Amino acid sequence: MKRTFGALALLFIFGTLLVVANPQHGLKFGLGGEEWEKHRYTDQYYIEHGLEDVGGTNIVTDIVFDYRGYDTIGEATVLFTAIAGAVALLRPWRRDEE
Amino acid sequence: MNQRSLHSDMGVIVKTTARATIPLIGIFGAYVVSHGHLTPGGGFQGGATIAGAGILFLLAFGLGEMKKKYDHHLYSALEGLGGLVFLGMAMLGLGVAFFYNTLWHNGPFNGEPGTLLSAGYLPIMNLAVGLKVFTGLMSAMVAIAMYRRWKE
Repeated sequence: MKRTFGALALLFIFGTLLVVANPQHGLKFGLGGEEWEKHRYTDQYYIEHGLEDVGGTNIVTDIVFDYRGYDTIGEATVLFTAIAGAVALLRPWRRDEE
Repeated sequence: MNQRSLHSDMGVIVKTTARATIPLIGIFGAYVVSHGHLTPGGGFQGGATIAGAGILFLLAFGLGEMKKKYDHHLYSALEGLGGLVFLGMAMLGLGVAFFYNTLWHNGPFNGEPGTLLSAGYLPIMNLAVGLKVFTGLMSAMVAIAMYRRWKE
């Protein structure tokens, strides 16, 4: 019973996402021209000003380390926590040490 | 069998190939990290590449050889150091704002865009993140490899 309900809920969410991803109702793919100017103006700014603002020719690195640096700090923290958790959990148990 | 296979190494062909390829993978990873502000890649990708060389070492030469080379405390300290260098670079321009790229606007790293010494703190941050990712992945892999045993 619960499993049926869960499967139906998953099906409903999947259908909703399909509707949202439909170009006639929501998301648009392969933007260009005026639609690009309208929906992707932030990207346009990065492409135009990235070189003078940050100085790196790799726009992705410019964004990740300068414009959106906090995000990278969080990412590094997530990695640090994951490594710390894995190493802490995988230590030998006290009675296993020879 | 059980105990032996955990600590033994691969055959002579694999070992010789690993001896030849580990430096190449390491150099390529270092290239990806150090040119993160010029070409695709960066700290995370290059660090993972160098960690691939370390994992190849672990697989080819076995855990016994790895234990001689690997120092748990050193790797933990280096991971923390990578994070601290990252934060320090972010705080360099604290007079204006956090993450203000002062090395680019008036510091020494303000060369012509496209050269190695450009883009302010980006190369240093890439090195820090690469060090962090490499040491972190290596400590996780060695911790998994040294897991107690397969049976209870």
